[in-house]
Amino acid sequence: MATQTKTKSATKSGSSLPLTTTAVGSYAKPDYLTKARSEFAQGKIDRADLDKLEKKATEYWIRVQEKVGLDVLVHGEMERGDMVAYFSGEEGGNPIKGMKIGGLVRSYGNRYYHKPIIFDKLEYPGPMTVDMWRYAQGLTDRPVKGMLTGAYTMVEWSFDEAYPTRRDAVLDMARIIRREVEELVKAGCHYIQIDEPAIHTRPEADFQLAIEAMHATVDGINAEFHTHICYGPVEKVYTEMIKLPVKQIHLAFKNTDFAYLDLIREFGYPEDKDLGVGVTDIHTRFIEDVEDVKDGLRRTLKLLPAERLWILPDCGLKTRTVEESEAKLKVMVDAVHAIRKEIGAE
Amino acid sequence: MQTTVVGNYPKIPNRPRPARLRNAINKRDRGELTDAELAQVKDEVTVEAIAEQIEAGIDVITDGQLRWDDDQTYVARNFKGIEIGALQRYLDTNTYFREPEVTGAISFVGPTLAPDWEFAQKNSTKPIKAIVPGPYTLAALSLDKHYNNREKLALAYAGALRQEVDALVAAGCKHIQVNDPVIVFNKEDYAFFHAAIVKLLDGVSGAETGVYTWFSDCAGILPQMQDLPADVIGLDFAAGPANWDALEAVSFTKRLGLGVVDGRNTRLETAADVAEAIKRASALVPSERLYVNPSCGLEYVPRETASEKLKVLAQGARQAEGVPA
Repeated sequence: MATQTKTKSATKSGSSLPLTTTAVGSYAKPDYLTKARSEFAQGKIDRADLDKLEKKATEYWIRVQEKVGLDVLVHGEMERGDMVAYFSGEEGGNPIKGMKIGGLVRSYGNRYYHKPIIFDKLEYPGPMTVDMWRYAQGLTDRPVKGMLTGAYTMVEWSFDEAYPTRRDAVLDMARIIRREVEELVKAGCHYIQIDEPAIHTRPEADFQLAIEAMHATVDGINAEFHTHICYGPVEKVYTEMIKLPVKQIHLAFKNTDFAYLDLIREFGYPEDKDLGVGVTDIHTRFIEDVEDVKDGLRRTLKLLPAERLWILPDCGLKTRTVEESEAKLKVMVDAVHAIRKEIGAE
Repeated sequence: MQTTVVGNYPKIPNRPRPARLRNAINKRDRGELTDAELAQVKDEVTVEAIAEQIEAGIDVITDGQLRWDDDQTYVARNFKGIEIGALQRYLDTNTYFREPEVTGAISFVGPTLAPDWEFAQKNSTKPIKAIVPGPYTLAALSLDKHYNNREKLALAYAGALRQEVDALVAAGCKHIQVNDPVIVFNKEDYAFFHAAIVKLLDGVSGAETGVYTWFSDCAGILPQMQDLPADVIGLDFAAGPANWDALEAVSFTKRLGLGVVDGRNTRLETAADVAEAIKRASALVPSERLYVNPSCGLEYVPRETASEKLKVLAQGARQAEGVPA
């Protein structure tokens, strides 16, 4: 438990702030890094060269977040291409044993992705995210979240050639992700975000499996767990979703114009959980008006106290440009300061 | 017994083969290629997909549906009354489609499928089966701003699609398949699903007609499906193993589309697996009434896997027939 301090703050062991500000995970890669990643894939530069540029870009985003004034930072995922593929054999990563990158599969329109394949029993390959987390945390006094992809999403977005059932694969994957959680905690990481964007793929058939997998990943580990669940039929899974064994669930509120508030009003939200509120749409170039964000915050504050709310963009910002991302974060932080003043918290 | 496919084929191969269609669409979007040049590339890659299916040993193939962005919009976008809406997840896949928005009364304007079929058949030594999107599935996956009633919408789609079917028959197409999978998830709507298929296919002559489902089983509706005005019923035995029991419980009078090779996973079946499933099905439906095919379209797996799966399918069918591979 976080110790009570007189000044409210977000520390590396917990946040007592009203309306703690943070981000969801990814930022856009600068052009030099995109170029370097492609050169690395072609064997033109080595891992050390790429590593240098990934760290340079990470530092850039840490400084942007400090300058804008976020309370809890993300490292920006400069080393990752895709949130599942990074753990499955993407160039530059340390893949889970038993996984590899497969051929191209179409997502929609003219968009394709390399879908990973589970081809053998999964085994932990040693730390996959710890070095980068340690580097990012070393750059700043503000807490930096550890970022992982949850077991259900890892399996759901891969082909499975190795396990008899999806359940077997998901629970074995949870064992692997738990090992990485343990390594992050050992390195001193307190906030660990485990993203599950695929969690509502089969709301009736196996939502319980996703919950069971989260238990298997986090139970008994002393850290503060968050999960990000974006888009999809949240309303179909809401009453089960809020049972996930994490301290915080964050949802894309802005994208649905805060319609999720109706779910909270109708079904409640657990007393022991914080709520992450997405307040800026990440799919548009349009920069929201501060008043617009403030309005969303006021509506949310009617249902939950400021101390239990974390404020963030709807999703990762990697599809937005550097300028757009910075502007969206700034609007968010400006609105939070204004509301903190309004409620006498600042 | 014949081998066939359920619908789509992956649009692009992997390296070292060039992703011609993907590159051409990108170039057109950047203004470096005209629409006519893109249409030419679409023709060429369609011919390649036809050749690959034939080479794998499949008897009745499709054009691969390489021109289709998705099953919901390719035909419907040319109907009056339809606009193209937001991206939606397709059932429990990680594939997305554009939601058709029904903004007015639906009507047929001119054939989309018949010209595609004529082109494909001209470039194939094997019969080309035309794929028609199912009226029920279209209704279930549309945003209805006009009829405000799924039954009315399904019947309206069926009316417009019937003209696609009639144009196919007039062009000489001998195999017409309606892909209407979503009924397996909404069996309570069966009565008007049935009525829509009747409107779409009743009285069609000169072509073999089929209705295919996937991603789950037809338990509970398979008996009524025997009364559909279709020659073939396609069932997914990979995602819907309960189809075995359903098949056993019914007096199956149609030809069966035996979906035994999993179209959604790269795990490769063996020819023996396929032969075993054929043997099991033959005990319930005489083998001369069997079509052996993947469980669904093959676009969920990479192109090379799709090609391997079709080869295994063809080998398994030969094995079941006792023909030396």
